[in-house]
Amino acid sequence: MAGTLVPDKILNELNELWVSLGREAQAEGGDGVLRSCTMTLVVLAEAGEDAQALGETLAALMPEHPARAISIRLRGAVPSALSERVYSQCWKPFGQRRQICCEQIEITAADADLADLRPVLLALAAPDLPLVLWCRSPRLAAMPEFGEMAALARKVVVDTVAFPDSKAALRLIAEASARGIPLGDLAWTRLTRWRSMLSQVFENRDCLEQLPGIRTIAVTWGGAYETLAWYMAAWLRDALADAGVRPAVSVRAEGSQSLIRVELAGEGFRLQLHREGDRLLVAVNGLESCANLTEPSDYLMMREELGIVRRDAVFERALTSAARLAYAGDQ
Amino acid sequence: MSTQNPFQDPLRFERRVPECTVVIFGANGDLTRRKLMPALYRLAYDRRLPPGFAVLGISRTPLGDEKFRGKMREAVEQFSEDTKFDAQVWASFAGGLSYIAGDIADPKLYPCLAGKLEEIAKTRPVGGNVLFYLSTQPSQYAEISQGLGAAGLGKGPGWRRLVVEKPFGHDLASARDLSNRLHEVFDESEIYRIDHYLGKETVQNILAFRFGNGTFEPLWNRRYVDHVQITAAESIGVEGRGAYYQETGALADMIQNHLLQVMATIAMEPSASFEARSVRDERSKLLRSIRRMTPDEIRLDTTPGQYGPARIGGQEVPGFRQEPGVDPQSPTDTYAAAAFLVENWRWAGVPFYLRTGKRLPKRVTEIAIQYKPAPLEIFGDQDGAGSASNLLIVRIQPEEGISLKFLSKRPGVGMQLRPVSMDFDYGSSFGERSPSAYETLLLDAMTGDATLYTRQDMVEASWAVVEPIQNVWRETRFEFPNYPAGTWGPPEADAILARRGHAWRRP
Repeated sequence: MAGTLVPDKILNELNELWVSLGREAQAEGGDGVLRSCTMTLVVLAEAGEDAQALGETLAALMPEHPARAISIRLRGAVPSALSERVYSQCWKPFGQRRQICCEQIEITAADADLADLRPVLLALAAPDLPLVLWCRSPRLAAMPEFGEMAALARKVVVDTVAFPDSKAALRLIAEASARGIPLGDLAWTRLTRWRSMLSQVFENRDCLEQLPGIRTIAVTWGGAYETLAWYMAAWLRDALADAGVRPAVSVRAEGSQSLIRVELAGEGFRLQLHREGDRLLVAVNGLESCANLTEPSDYLMMREELGIVRRDAVFERALTSAARLAYAGDQ
Repeated sequence: MSTQNPFQDPLRFERRVPECTVVIFGANGDLTRRKLMPALYRLAYDRRLPPGFAVLGISRTPLGDEKFRGKMREAVEQFSEDTKFDAQVWASFAGGLSYIAGDIADPKLYPCLAGKLEEIAKTRPVGGNVLFYLSTQPSQYAEISQGLGAAGLGKGPGWRRLVVEKPFGHDLASARDLSNRLHEVFDESEIYRIDHYLGKETVQNILAFRFGNGTFEPLWNRRYVDHVQITAAESIGVEGRGAYYQETGALADMIQNHLLQVMATIAMEPSASFEARSVRDERSKLLRSIRRMTPDEIRLDTTPGQYGPARIGGQEVPGFRQEPGVDPQSPTDTYAAAAFLVENWRWAGVPFYLRTGKRLPKRVTEIAIQYKPAPLEIFGDQDGAGSASNLLIVRIQPEEGISLKFLSKRPGVGMQLRPVSMDFDYGSSFGERSPSAYETLLLDAMTGDATLYTRQDMVEASWAVVEPIQNVWRETRFEFPNYPAGTWGPPEADAILARRGHAWRRP
């Protein structure tokens, strides 16, 4: 059955949901429910994705970034098939009687329905609050309707690690960014801890004094981490250029296992960063220190991205440079 | 050579502490165990501390480094309220802890401290930066500062900062004297006077609420605000601190510092920027605008109180004079209430009622901004609810948040109005854990941000307001105790508000 989506009906269902949640809480002798919402989070995913894992990620995000979550699951090139359901995500802060609840809407659709969903989203978005679009599939990001949906968003989050062609992915999102769409890329988010540790090294005055002597930037990547490597190389090159230092940059691939290694070297100075298991090892002139660095989950990465619902100048600059650097390497 | 780190990304990187050594005087004391060490451990747990970070504890008790680490571990395990104890994080943090035993009054302690700091600098990259934290009796502040100066520790290769806890003097003259003596060694910009109330998330949020939104500030003045009430109530008594407390009292212990700082934050003009100097200038200006009361006004607009014994919830509760270590004839105020007026264009004629006390019915700290009623009551007022005016409540503890009370039509036939509350709860609207006040303030001191610290001129302005009250109270004989434990204070406090047609809220 094709089915239709009527925004007013969904909004009514949401209202009824809140009334019933309030009644249930009162009947249980609690202090009612608190409706919490700071944004609309639209998640665009393939219907084949693990719904439970995605649900768990959204549930984990809600206490810190309470949102009206609209999850759109696309079933591919099948006949038109629209359906929806509304439900709530509630939690009770430790020691408190009142439940906090966020609302969630799940829409299932065929690819062909995507164009029809824009007006539905317009109606369902929480009024006056920012809308963040998280696209979890490279296939969907390439669909022409995706651009229309992205135009509604204050921020669009993608993950170029999942794209089959890393350089093309960088070019695609760099172009989108140049058109004014504020973007986040989870490939860049994966680098935050690396960049932070590297930056921390140069908080030391002795290391900072070595900066002008840096001659080379070498980034090695493996497996799916090619975009991470281009980002890291571009960010390092730009930051050093700001300090008046112009080292040679090399980015090279190594093996099929997802990895990244970074080295800055010059006269009497060598800084190396690499991961070993759940640890990030930082070596300055052979002196090693380590910090915990577990593989970031979708929850941890989205938690960071949802905290930045505005333009991120450092990322945008790194993205533009990374796309240029990636294609310059081919010439 | 570059002087700035080009790899900074403030949008994404957490603010980190620069390499430094924190020297704690009074390392074996209650504050260190309950607040400082758990806060430093939490910063380590959150990976905010650099690898070379070091803590040097100083106290009279003879202890070795290992024993000191053991005691601090116990303190962290016992007093870290919402932080999991992680043995690996502790091991790495504890590696930077060391201790020297010594008497603050002994001049030999300071060269010994200098030697220990040099020793630490050889093994850990601390960058020559030192934060001295005086967690001792206030009477020892000047002595320590001068000891540090005599040993050449007031200056060094990196920055030097001095953190002192309240009270900053016991009157205006002693506050000035203390500042002068600290200034012999440390510049005012290097002195961090800690007021942990200002480190609380909601107190900081007052600035965000007022100056980050366009809606409220236009209503934040004498035209719309009827009066403001600031309440800091404690349900407990002096809890073994009777001997200390009877030397200070509620007025000096709470109003002179915490509550006047909170009032300054609520009432200050917008600062030109969020720079420390700019924010502190505005706070200071507000404190200087508080009307100094004449003795007659003090008798009308202020009142002290002292709790007497009572039975609460089936339990006998002693009066203040029956507490251990307290003089049975003690005239100390365990409660203080006052009405202050601010002499500026924004607040002229708006009373700010401040009250604080021990053994009140519950532990609560709140600021209530009572708006004027609607100019015309078109809905009638059969039961009084229809004319209740809007109330904005900033809750500081135990729960942090903001509530707005306004009138709404009751469902049903007819036009009956009822007050309803719109609540913003910090803990639940953001699932994130709020850092403790000491975490915030220690991090600020180590990164050189003095926005939430009190400056000398602010301390002096507060004493200039409070000292005349102290003088009148000292000369007056009060019939203490004048409120039973477990009540909202003496009836004289109600009279202060009643004269202006107001009444204390029941928080």
